[in-house]
Amino acid sequence: MRNITRVLIATAALGGTLAAATGAGLAASHPDLKWTAIFDSTGPAGAYGTSQKNALELAAADIDAGKIESGGQKISIDIQDSATSPAQVINIMQSAFGNGTSLIVGPTLSSEAFKADPLAVKANVPVMGVSNTANGITEMGPCVFRNSLSEAQIVPDVIEAAKKSWHVKTAAIIYGDDDQFTKADYTIFNADLPKAGVKVVDVETFHKGDVDFKAQLTKIKEAKPDVIVYGALYAEGAKLLDQARQVGLHGHEIGGNGFNSPQIIALAGKAADGVIVGAAWYAGAETNGNAAFVKNYTAKYSKSPDQFAAQAYAGAQIAAAAVKKSHPADAAGMCSALKQVGSVQTVIGPFKFASTRDADAHGFVVQIKNGTFSKFE
Amino acid sequence: MFDQQLANGIFLGAVYALFAVGYTLIFGVLDILNLAHSAIFMASSFVALALVRHGVPFWAAFLAATMFGGALSVVLDRVAFAPLRARGVGGGALGPLISSIAFGIIVVSVMRGIFGPDEIGYPSGSVPTANLHLGHASFTAMDLSVLLVSLVMMILLSLLLKATPLGRAIRAVAENTKAASLLGINVEHTIGLTFLIAGALGAAAGILIGAQFNAVGILMGQRIELKGLAVIILGGMGSIPGAVLGGFLLGLLEVFSVAYLSSSYRDAIAFAVMFLILIVRPSGLLGKRAGRTA
Repeated sequence: MRNITRVLIATAALGGTLAAATGAGLAASHPDLKWTAIFDSTGPAGAYGTSQKNALELAAADIDAGKIESGGQKISIDIQDSATSPAQVINIMQSAFGNGTSLIVGPTLSSEAFKADPLAVKANVPVMGVSNTANGITEMGPCVFRNSLSEAQIVPDVIEAAKKSWHVKTAAIIYGDDDQFTKADYTIFNADLPKAGVKVVDVETFHKGDVDFKAQLTKIKEAKPDVIVYGALYAEGAKLLDQARQVGLHGHEIGGNGFNSPQIIALAGKAADGVIVGAAWYAGAETNGNAAFVKNYTAKYSKSPDQFAAQAYAGAQIAAAAVKKSHPADAAGMCSALKQVGSVQTVIGPFKFASTRDADAHGFVVQIKNGTFSKFE
Repeated sequence: MFDQQLANGIFLGAVYALFAVGYTLIFGVLDILNLAHSAIFMASSFVALALVRHGVPFWAAFLAATMFGGALSVVLDRVAFAPLRARGVGGGALGPLISSIAFGIIVVSVMRGIFGPDEIGYPSGSVPTANLHLGHASFTAMDLSVLLVSLVMMILLSLLLKATPLGRAIRAVAENTKAASLLGINVEHTIGLTFLIAGALGAAAGILIGAQFNAVGILMGQRIELKGLAVIILGGMGSIPGAVLGGFLLGLLEVFSVAYLSSSYRDAIAFAVMFLILIVRPSGLLGKRAGRTA
């Protein structure tokens, strides 16, 4: 069931042509640089991983076409499906180490990263997380990077926006307590809401794969919160929104990072209208190259990209910029190159790593309106 | 809140009951756990969804996909169970259990290949979404449909087993296949019809539950399978009314665990109570003895 996509990226157009013509240049002096991408293209997180896979394939084609510059270095990217299974992530990663990979891109979920990234740290192979949002990801090792904004970076802006526009004083939180990704929503909102003067009046939980949440939502209704915070992946999130209406909850709502997928709108329909989400990116963002990215992605895959796609594409832009600047030949070189990459223009905005190897960037507060993510104002 | 939570428990219980009725029928007749039941449940739900997305009205799609589920269940019997029966590997052995797992995995893989990994919802307006009210409780038209269908199925299936020639044949086969054969009953034909009925019941459950939660996905069967198994054991393996009673009991236990205790321990509390019930009644609530009571 592995969906294996082998992508060979040729030398960037002009540099590559010159190098081939002169028999010199970096492409000739270095063998292919190998990257391994590990995404959940199938399983419960399949919608996120599929977006990431698509975006990385598009990025590979753009490097090939010279739209993303890699300084003439050939890069071979092996995109693997980890099927939303931490064990599968570990298997793929261990195979990649044996094959001389110089960079791991992924895995999709924070829960998978916490299990697998320590292996990469031990093998001295750098990791570029493009969707891990839980606290503590980059603390796992000196070569663990991420371009995804952590929940902790985005959540205060979301709470501030909700306070300003909705004047909320009380909140209830419902979250999946068996997934690091959704549990991170709870941990951060539960800490930041009181700091912003918003009282948490009820906390409810569910498990991944549950379909009926009416008991929890009925209990939340009794607590009469001004706003409900959902820490859920899109599958459970859509049902939560739908069932909240069914039990008579029609108030303000905030979605965690799992709501950053068009799938939530596709499944919940009108029930998703009005929800605000903290996002690292949205389709209408006026960032460098974003309009072309959205257009090309939509043309190739017949659906709009989501935040996960944009961050995966930006991850390739950042890593390619590091290759262009420092010409790494192996995993150790790739780690140094990422540390020295400096500021890069990406589809998610101007990007640079903080000293902690986390993203030093700002997010957006977006709202679902008429079936699309728009800037919340 | 009590009224609403009581309604929540009853409607959740109806979901479990609906899934468990077909599940327990196969066990009652063949003394095997059919772990492909959840795959038929899921595949039929996708078939109904695909038909609705092509403009077929929901209730017509429901009937067509129910027949599909019945037919797929007969194929399951012919492919996974009949060859083992012919070699004398019957109920209680692990062979049929593994065969059903294999068949289920194949169906899941095929459906994933066709429909992809994402959950898909019904097009807006294609299924009843009206909110109904009774006292302080509110529920949807689909909640009510699932409840009514699960009760009607239990009654019809119980009548079929008790008061029709087919029911008598099924019960005879359940009791002893050799004796049934000596009495002139076509055992293979009866088993095939049992699979047809069980598959159609599983299909009806999958279609209604997919529409109720407006989400049809590859994992929907696997998610309910374990609870379905718990329900049929609690109700008494092979007992149709037991499966329904077990379903409602589990639904109410889960909901009241959330309402008055903690949502974090919902499953633990519900399963702990079931564990205690099984200590008192090892054969389940309505099980006369372990299994074979259809």
